[in-house]
Amino acid sequence: MTTPLEHRRAVRRKRWGTALTLFVLLGPAVVMVIGVLGYAVVSGAITSLFRVEVWTLGTPFVGFENYQRLFRSATFVNSLTRSLIFVAGTIVLGIVLSMGFALVLHAVRWGRGLFRAIALIPYLVSGVAAAVMWRFLFTGDTSLINMGLIAAGQQAIPWLARPNLALVVVTLANVWFISPFSTLILLGGLQGIDPQLYEAAKIDGARTHQCFKHITLPSIAPMMALSFMWLSFASFNMFDIILPLTGGGPGRATEVLAVHMYQLAFRDLNYSTASAVMVVLLVINVAFSLAYLRLFRPR
Amino acid sequence: MIRVPASPVRDRALAIARRNLVWLPLLLLLVWSALPLLWSLAASLKTPLELYQSRSLLPEQPTLGNYGRVFAWPGFWRYLFNSSLLALASTAFALVISSLAAYGFARYAFRFRNLLLVLILVPRILPRASLIVPLYQLVERFGLLDTYAVLTITYTATAVPFATWILAGFFAAVPRELEEAAAIDGATIAQRLWWVVLPIAAPGLITAAVFSLREAWNEFPFALAFTTSQEMRTLPYQLFLLRDSVGIQDWPLMNAFTIVTILPILLLYLRFERHIVSGLTSGALK
Repeated sequence: MTTPLEHRRAVRRKRWGTALTLFVLLGPAVVMVIGVLGYAVVSGAITSLFRVEVWTLGTPFVGFENYQRLFRSATFVNSLTRSLIFVAGTIVLGIVLSMGFALVLHAVRWGRGLFRAIALIPYLVSGVAAAVMWRFLFTGDTSLINMGLIAAGQQAIPWLARPNLALVVVTLANVWFISPFSTLILLGGLQGIDPQLYEAAKIDGARTHQCFKHITLPSIAPMMALSFMWLSFASFNMFDIILPLTGGGPGRATEVLAVHMYQLAFRDLNYSTASAVMVVLLVINVAFSLAYLRLFRPR
Repeated sequence: MIRVPASPVRDRALAIARRNLVWLPLLLLLVWSALPLLWSLAASLKTPLELYQSRSLLPEQPTLGNYGRVFAWPGFWRYLFNSSLLALASTAFALVISSLAAYGFARYAFRFRNLLLVLILVPRILPRASLIVPLYQLVERFGLLDTYAVLTITYTATAVPFATWILAGFFAAVPRELEEAAAIDGATIAQRLWWVVLPIAAPGLITAAVFSLREAWNEFPFALAFTTSQEMRTLPYQLFLLRDSVGIQDWPLMNAFTIVTILPILLLYLRFERHIVSGLTSGALK
């Protein structure tokens, strides 16, 4: 027989054992993720409150001055506007394409695996490689797009030399690059819908678009939220495509926030202002995700 | 309004139209997804002369000469080695670390479990490019600039959240009874994880591995910021630099280089395609 005291000791030992096990299991991941990435965020946020520039002696505390200067700077406001256009364009085109592709991939019976594999190809390519391919599609007389224009009796267009057209090309390349993943998310959602729902609706005489509106959309609302989040995060943070494709130019026409931040830090060696841009990006991303979660709240 | 009387002919026409309606978006999908890659592939097989002089769509006399030039590019094999080493090392570390964490999340109920799970996912919403600014200062202080260590650590850290997320879903789906049976036979947690949970969750491991390999193989901002010497370059970094070093744009070479960097990950994906899609759609997203 164990006495109550011994029993309590055994329970306590077991609890400590569990805590130790958890510590061993979760410790490495926590150190890696929160230690490396979390450190970067916190350290960046702190740096944004100081002045850390190559031409300033020491690192004086300046409070929110970096942010005030940021919002008064024309180049930052330009980057913010360009980013918003870039992100809005990507989200609209990206969600339409990935929803359409997901529906088609779900509906098609023949060669489904092959089509699905092809649809995901752009996601496997590196951002740099995608940028090279899209530059090749649009640059010079030998590019496919301009060859098409010439064949149709039109003039070749210097796409990447015109500020607004360059932004369009960058947006298209970005949609190409990141929307396959949201296609995959939405396809997963479609595959999870119970087919009996549709059969029941058919018996009740529902039409295709009614089924889509009242069964499909509500069922995949969480996946829609995930897709929107993915598309906007990936675009707000996009760097890999833009630097090799346009370098932010012509002028600053495609200098979105992530590229602007990189230039501030590594060309101008102005770490504190770059950190302030990082915090702004972080705040925008969090605000967007909260908005999506509200918008697609399960009813 | 004139009502067209329903006729068998019209019904059949509508049915055919509806059945073929799926092919139009499917064609769009194929063209949209594959065309940039195919156009690049075609250009990589043309001679520079053909590319600039004739406006041919397909190479008239396909040549592998551009690929020969890629393989002979100074440092190419070194960059290939760097990319492979970093991808394999960071994936191996990430799989070990996230298997442990995923097991903890899947099998234990503890205080702050959900908070921790969210905290681990938060870095996914941060731009990699924004992390390089603060990390650069840290890396510089520890004298780790231009080392394999810094890239391996940062690649592992960025791979862990997604891998943990996927694996936790798979581990939770492994029946507890199997583990209990093993535990009665005296198996420790490590043995249960290695002999019971991991084999059953193999599709999850494959999915996590392919995504982690893809991310490290394609990574650009960290390699750009944290390496300085030529010996440390990775393939995407060199592809980015080709733009400057070639002078007049050598499109056949650049396209061949692009295809070379894409091919390994594409073959890997096609080999495991079935596992990956089922891994993503069944494990994580529910």
